[in-house]
Amino acid sequence: MARFVTVAKADSIQPGQMIKVEIDNLPVALANVGGTFYAFDDTCTHEDCSLADGDLVKTVVTCPCHFADFDIRTGAVLAPPATVPINVYPVRVQGNDLQVEF
Amino acid sequence: MPTIAIVGASLAGSSAAATLREEGFDGRVLLIGAEPQLPYDRPPLSKNYLRGTTPFEKTLLRPPEFYRERDIEMRLGSTVVKVDPEKRMLALHDGERLEFDQLLVATGGRNRRFPIPGLDLPGVYDLRTVADADRIREAMARGGRAVVVGMGFIGAEVAASMRQSGLEVVAVEPFRTPLYRALGEEIGRVVEGLHRDHGVEMLLDDAVTAFEGSGKVERVITRNGRRIECNLAVFGLGIEPATELVAGTAVRVDNGIVVDDQCRTNVPGIFAAGDVANHYHPVCGRQMRVEHWQNGVKQGAAAARSMLGRGQAYDEVHWFWSDQFDANIQYAGFHAAWDRIVVRGSLPLRKFLAFYLTEGRVESVVAINQGRDMRRTLPIIKARVAVDPARLEDPAVDLRTLAPASA
Repeated sequence: MARFVTVAKADSIQPGQMIKVEIDNLPVALANVGGTFYAFDDTCTHEDCSLADGDLVKTVVTCPCHFADFDIRTGAVLAPPATVPINVYPVRVQGNDLQVEF
Repeated sequence: MPTIAIVGASLAGSSAAATLREEGFDGRVLLIGAEPQLPYDRPPLSKNYLRGTTPFEKTLLRPPEFYRERDIEMRLGSTVVKVDPEKRMLALHDGERLEFDQLLVATGGRNRRFPIPGLDLPGVYDLRTVADADRIREAMARGGRAVVVGMGFIGAEVAASMRQSGLEVVAVEPFRTPLYRALGEEIGRVVEGLHRDHGVEMLLDDAVTAFEGSGKVERVITRNGRRIECNLAVFGLGIEPATELVAGTAVRVDNGIVVDDQCRTNVPGIFAAGDVANHYHPVCGRQMRVEHWQNGVKQGAAAARSMLGRGQAYDEVHWFWSDQFDANIQYAGFHAAWDRIVVRGSLPLRKFLAFYLTEGRVESVVAINQGRDMRRTLPIIKARVAVDPARLEDPAVDLRTLAPASA
């Protein structure tokens, strides 16, 4: 059953930044885009690099290793070499708690 | 119905075919490739595919149904034996003749060979295609010692993959360091250290003068007098553009097929993209030919738009990667002589960017395990203005603040 899990403090991620957390041993990236939070698989579907180590421009994350682009709102691939989308997860903020539905 | 024929079904050719459909072209699209496989990605051939950790299916650029759904007609395992640009006709090896209205040449390159005695001995390999990779894998599975001839990007990746697969590896490189021509001595030494730390024996400033053996390669002889007993050898001596398709036609060839910044040759209706295209680059104002993955994707797409009359100046900052052991090496920019190298980060830790400057401008950048900052450097290269080296060097300075806002 999906449930909301508290994964970080909302004020620990500055706008334009990403951090990596683990939920049930799965690396998940959290991003703050102008005050809106997003959660998505941290592991690039191309060759397993950490997307949180990559670059974030608005809602597009670029993998640091081979520059695949993903839309962090939908998980869609926007630029190769990745061909498989990433999973994205609903996020809510309760007080200062950042919660991800997992 | 208008027909666009694309010769070369690798990265640039398949990218062009996909883009034609994305852009709404509803004529006939012919994609003709010499290899029997559907278009696949070559970077894994020297890395995870060679090591056996990625199956071939994962290297396909697009699933088989992609081409069917978009009515892209494939002629795989087909060689074009003749092109007539005036009659707009081409002939395949099996006698099939195909008419076209426009033609994209995306034939890529072929491995350079040098007249070294014994180069044709069984057990001496080169790597370009998945069939080549399969032959090398088969030889690797028998273990033993491998000699890698040439420590350019392909040689260095093959050396790394073979070490990671448990082989002994001896590399022979005519320059003073691996990747010397691309990176220079200072950064080349870092790559040398990477390979030595992982157990690659490196013979620098040396060259292979012969491959010897009875019936198959058994040893490699070098100019400095080394005799290296080995079970296999792989040479990576660069590629030459595959231009013979247009030989004898009016299409201009000079280090590849000469095209303008919209992939057009001097013959109307004939275009070129990818490794084979010596293209005019508007950012640096000169012709250049590159053999990069990203250029295959982007220039193939640019050529497709150009063929549809929607061309724009192709002005990508060239960029590529090379994964060797635990190092993700990236290179961006326009290879040229440099007058200064500025390093941001640590060479010994192999975590840095090195900026190659000419008169204060960043012409190119190499990064190891610093992909995020590399991405942020691309606008600085494109801007072609002088930047303060102290700010490039300072890791506390956000690189995004160094490019003019208009870039």
